[in-house]
Amino acid sequence: MKTFGALLRSPSALFGLAVAAISLATALFAPILAPHDPLRTIAPLALPGSVAPDGSHLWLGADFLGRDILSRLIFGTRTVLLWSSLATAASFSVGVSMGLLAGYFGGKLDTALSFIANTLLAFPVTVLYIIIITSFGASGANIVIAVTFASAPGVFRIMRAIALDIRNRDFVAAAITQGESALAIMAREILPNAATPLLADLCLRLGYTAITVGVLGFLGLGLPPPTPDWGGMVAEGKNMAIAFPHLVIFPCIAISLLMLAMSLLSDSLQQIAKGGSRA
Amino acid sequence: MKAEGAAPLLRVRDLSVTLPQGADRRFAVEEASFELSGGEIMCVVGESGSGKSVLSSAIMGAAPTGLKVASGSILFRGEDIVRMGEAKLRKLRGNQIAMVFQEPMAALNPAVKVGEQIEEVFTLHSRLAPRERRERVKALLSDTRLPDPDRIAQSYSHQLSGGQCQRVVIAMALAMSPALLIADEPTSALDVTTQAQVLKLMRELRDEHGHAVLFITHDFGVVAEVADRVAVMQAGRIVEIGDKRTVLDAPRHPYTQKLIASVPRAEPRPASALKPDAEPSLVISHLAKSYRVGGQSVTALKDASLALDKGRTLGIVGESGSGKSTLARVAIRLTPADRGAVRVGGVDLAKLGGKALARARRKIQMIFQDPYGSLNPRHSVGAILTRAGRLGGKPGAEARESAIELLRLVGLKPEAFARKPHEFSGGQRQRIGIARALAMNPEVVFADECVSALDVSVQAQVLRLIADLQARLDLTLVFITHDLRVAAQVSDYIAVMRQGEIVEFGGAEEVLKRPRHPYTRELIAAAPGRNWTPPVLETPE
Amino acid sequence: MLHFIARRLLVLLATMLAVSFVVFAALELNIEDVATHVLGQFATADQRHLWLAENGYFDPFLYRYLRWLAHFATGDWGRSIHFKEEVTTLIPYYLENTAILAGIALAVMTPLALLLGVLAGMREGSTLDRVISFFAIATTSIPQFASAVFLSGIFVFWLHLLPGASPMTSGFAWRELVMPVAVLVLAGTGYLARMTRASMVEVMSSAYVRTARMKGASFPRVVLRHALRNAMVTPVTVVMLYIPWLLANVVVVEVFFAYRGFGTLLYTASLQHDVFLIEGCTMVAVVVVVSTQLLSDLAYVWLNPRVTFDTPSEKTAGAAA
Repeated sequence: MKTFGALLRSPSALFGLAVAAISLATALFAPILAPHDPLRTIAPLALPGSVAPDGSHLWLGADFLGRDILSRLIFGTRTVLLWSSLATAASFSVGVSMGLLAGYFGGKLDTALSFIANTLLAFPVTVLYIIIITSFGASGANIVIAVTFASAPGVFRIMRAIALDIRNRDFVAAAITQGESALAIMAREILPNAATPLLADLCLRLGYTAITVGVLGFLGLGLPPPTPDWGGMVAEGKNMAIAFPHLVIFPCIAISLLMLAMSLLSDSLQQIAKGGSRA
Repeated sequence: MKAEGAAPLLRVRDLSVTLPQGADRRFAVEEASFELSGGEIMCVVGESGSGKSVLSSAIMGAAPTGLKVASGSILFRGEDIVRMGEAKLRKLRGNQIAMVFQEPMAALNPAVKVGEQIEEVFTLHSRLAPRERRERVKALLSDTRLPDPDRIAQSYSHQLSGGQCQRVVIAMALAMSPALLIADEPTSALDVTTQAQVLKLMRELRDEHGHAVLFITHDFGVVAEVADRVAVMQAGRIVEIGDKRTVLDAPRHPYTQKLIASVPRAEPRPASALKPDAEPSLVISHLAKSYRVGGQSVTALKDASLALDKGRTLGIVGESGSGKSTLARVAIRLTPADRGAVRVGGVDLAKLGGKALARARRKIQMIFQDPYGSLNPRHSVGAILTRAGRLGGKPGAEARESAIELLRLVGLKPEAFARKPHEFSGGQRQRIGIARALAMNPEVVFADECVSALDVSVQAQVLRLIADLQARLDLTLVFITHDLRVAAQVSDYIAVMRQGEIVEFGGAEEVLKRPRHPYTRELIAAAPGRNWTPPVLETPE
Repeated sequence: MLHFIARRLLVLLATMLAVSFVVFAALELNIEDVATHVLGQFATADQRHLWLAENGYFDPFLYRYLRWLAHFATGDWGRSIHFKEEVTTLIPYYLENTAILAGIALAVMTPLALLLGVLAGMREGSTLDRVISFFAIATTSIPQFASAVFLSGIFVFWLHLLPGASPMTSGFAWRELVMPVAVLVLAGTGYLARMTRASMVEVMSSAYVRTARMKGASFPRVVLRHALRNAMVTPVTVVMLYIPWLLANVVVVEVFFAYRGFGTLLYTASLQHDVFLIEGCTMVAVVVVVSTQLLSDLAYVWLNPRVTFDTPSEKTAGAAA
């Protein structure tokens, strides 16, 4: 709660929170907000601001199949938020639990878990995505799996480092001498103290996963068409971008804005975490 | 000593330094006035937050960021440092006024050889040729009694010990034969024996060079050792200033009196006989521990044996690396022992494991050194104490009640229950730490340097509390400290440790008054201010 | 020192083995898929069966892996289905193109990021610091396909200054390199700059910088002689880790600008399910990553006189005190 109060005092964090809230609302109320069906053909390659045959406005124009770009953008918010939060949640569950175990117990368990993490980190991320998606096919579930493999080792490392540090604090020693169990120490003593840095990483990773969903869409490895997906929209419009820049510019702005918001939020959280440890 | 004529070297007049808004008071330093003449050592004593360090930075013309000199003047040889430009200040710093810092290792650049760092002073302030500069560096290093100056000059700071680093820093400070040396807690981070050597060196160098020294410290023992004059600071104000003997032996200001009354008296209790019939409360036998460091085995504790009767206090004294903390951590089973036994109430903790160990842990508890690191910042004080009570075997409601009772017992208000640790001062946190240890209803309590992070007046209160609780609850106490005065005040028995070994163990009076081991003698001789006995004062408390 | 390198090399080797197993399992565990990818979708079940039998795919999995590993170690990486060429002859050409692109990006990015980081970090909280820090966050937030779109929009379609694609069909052309390099630099500079800034801020508030100031050293002298060397340790080790980052990120940039590099090769291979080419590319990428990690470790030790090769961990040192 103290963290939240501190966030509200920072303008960049406020901006981040606002964008996140607006994105969330857009995703939730997409069917109400979107003026058109995102899959329906209206007027192929209509320019922004033009009027559809039925008299409605196409504020951001239509794509090469005549689908309303604004509506696809709005429904695309759903896609990106849904899959990136699922994927981030999966990476965090795996990374945090393994990191806690490795950092707290150390020894052979740590060596083994760290080796697995380092093996996965030895793959350049895009390469990992390509291997997993080509082996198992392009689908939402496989995006979650791919992102978990790529992202969990990073979370693992952060959690492990924090656990290693906090394990040597005197309050953990006190808990041990009180006969507290290992599980209780991890849950009661270590995890609460890792909350702020983990939250900072969570924001950043949520943004990066959104980008990943975009990149996979852009590379044609994302969700199969015709799902509205920002990265996919760029990929589809890329070759016609010279004549019709509106096909690609809006999804690019949307994803950049979302990522910027998450970065600013993460940065503010890191500042708070730093200030907190100093005080 | 150089004659500076009638005018003093440094004349501080009504100096006030403002704190940033939102601080607990307006001024870090408030209307401070004093004078300092050549060849004189003046100690500025005060507790943390008294403004003594800010005062020293202001004299260097470098108040910490956010702080501003609001009024007053600092006349150095007649020129006002407060109104001096940056270029002029640079010519002064390191040249006519030099500084020695608290953390000698951190004060040296890790990436530059220490010889080059001293040489830089000449580069900045003289026109000496490179060859001459290097000669002077060597001369300075041997002046500070460093062995093999050639090798030292070629070393990096991490290759030297703390004491050696501080000598290098002193050599650097004295390079241009400054008229004023400012030393900010220069020995607080050093071991007792090293501290004694560095204090001796600083006095000798003053005698040789005749520079004035402004010596910031919190330790009255150190004051007794080095000062000519003393200024006492409280909340930014200089409350008393005068000759060393007068201030130390006949303080006039109530605050000075309170501080001096808090200094532990190095008067050990008379020996009390061991109870021959009863089984001792704590028996440590042949305890050993070694660590593997980079493929080599380092012995941290070898074959330690002790026994302590119920309700008695054992002081364990030693310098850093002596193994006294390892002994504590092994005894309470934070780290497993290689060999040996720890018997508490007849049960060998070193042999237990799993559930049996978790249950037996209750009997032996610890009060930790760092009041800031020993309480989980995320839990309220009540939650911490209640949890300890429940782990000690009490049911929920009872644990909660006893937590409130414990708060009262350690002198905290019941409102503390709902607060988080960060809302408390260091001394209060230490009380919470004590309450937590007691919540388990232990038989033996280890206290690892539990008052060394506290100011002297708070330290006195916490020591009194511990003694009081011990008498009331008939606790067996093992008190680990580097401070002989503290050990003398609290202990029935004293064990002296060096390099993982207990070199002497006996009744407190016997060990301190008639030490047998040469190392104990060395330690006693090194204790700062051993020739000064704090006067018995009628304190306002 | 030798002991340290030997131990690191051993870990490196173990990682490579684990990686090769993961890659092989992911791509060749399901043999029906392999046959389909090699023979195409229109091959009959009998044809596939025949091919699998001929190529020893009915042997136990572990045996197949070891045989594959042996072939791999002896330079027999198989034949690309799509390009109809030996994988070992394909990869060097594309890798070289990527090395040029990534090398130039790194050469532009590193000095820029270090300079910005030092300028921002030498006076924490100054206006310059705030401006640089904001731009560092903003630029790293734009995904590369988006910045490629934005930059193309400005420099290609609006100002007509540069070509919008970089296929280098008529030989090497500097002009075609500008856009991909710009996109990579824009995305990568911010992180390194922030890293440098953090390191610089820490050093500038250290006790030895205070010592230097109290010696009478001027601000520029303090920054250049005392702060820089210590502040550079972390960023320089991070620069090494940019090589894997570039290797991962060139994919998007190369695909966007149709640059014939390693990223495009891997991308094409994945679209075509070119199993052996994917295996080859992955192993090369992993070798690059792991060896840069080793170099980064060595650089850290070399730059930091405090670190010895057998440093005890903080824990044991603390416990022994």
